[in-house]
Amino acid sequence: MQKKDIYTLVLLIILTITTAYFSNTFHNLEIISLVILTLSGLKFIAVVFQFMEMKKAHRVWKSTIILFLTLFIGIIFAVL
Amino acid sequence: MQKEIDYKNIYYPPGGLLIWILISLELLTFGIALIALVFMSKENPDLYHQSRLMLNTTYGAINTVFLLTSGFFMATTVHLFKKGNFTKASFLLKLTMLGGFLFLALKTLEYYHKIEAGLVLDYNTFFSFYWLLTGFHVIHVIVGLVILLYFNFTLEKQKTEDLEAGAAFWHMCDLIWLLLFPVIYLIL
Repeated sequence: MQKKDIYTLVLLIILTITTAYFSNTFHNLEIISLVILTLSGLKFIAVVFQFMEMKKAHRVWKSTIILFLTLFIGIIFAVL
Repeated sequence: MQKEIDYKNIYYPPGGLLIWILISLELLTFGIALIALVFMSKENPDLYHQSRLMLNTTYGAINTVFLLTSGFFMATTVHLFKKGNFTKASFLLKLTMLGGFLFLALKTLEYYHKIEAGLVLDYNTFFSFYWLLTGFHVIHVIVGLVILLYFNFTLEKQKTEDLEAGAAFWHMCDLIWLLLFPVIYLIL
């Protein structure tokens, strides 16, 4: 097993617990929604770049993924 | 040892171009549906907030951990396969599938509680979105499990590209869930 994959999994689990805790503790706070969305975005990037090995891919693919995620989080937060 | 693939080539992202076209379309579709959900929630924020509170965040978080751990095992399976260690790769592929089955088991329990409480598809618009989005995601997980099951029986005959494509499909299930979980279970 690759050490980086293990670290990534631990980070992903910590971020999952953190976002669930924030959501259950602070209700209806805009800033908390932004924090939860950002942390979830980090999880998305960790899975794509580490587990799916997109860190090795052409920069066009990496940029497209980051652009999609930024737009998604940006639009969701703008509408909220 | 299998031959190395040049991932820096724009036409060969890990998993292959076709699977990434599929992943892009899936993420766009689910992404647009989630934006529509948030947009609709502005018409009646209290209803959506109260409905969201009827969901079990703990189930959602545990299911996230199941899928992420399964994704970790999938990534490790691919590494071991590339090194020619088929015995270990096969074992980790089974652990990958176990993660998927645990996800489905908990999702079934969650659905059972919702149906028992009368929170079905036409209860309100929030639950229409909930059932459709999580339901379509469950279908993807089932299709992913069928693909993994096929690989489990034919692992040694597989090409690296094919296993990577199957793995990419399985990771796509993680990615879709990573978009669904915060929006449906956490922020509304």
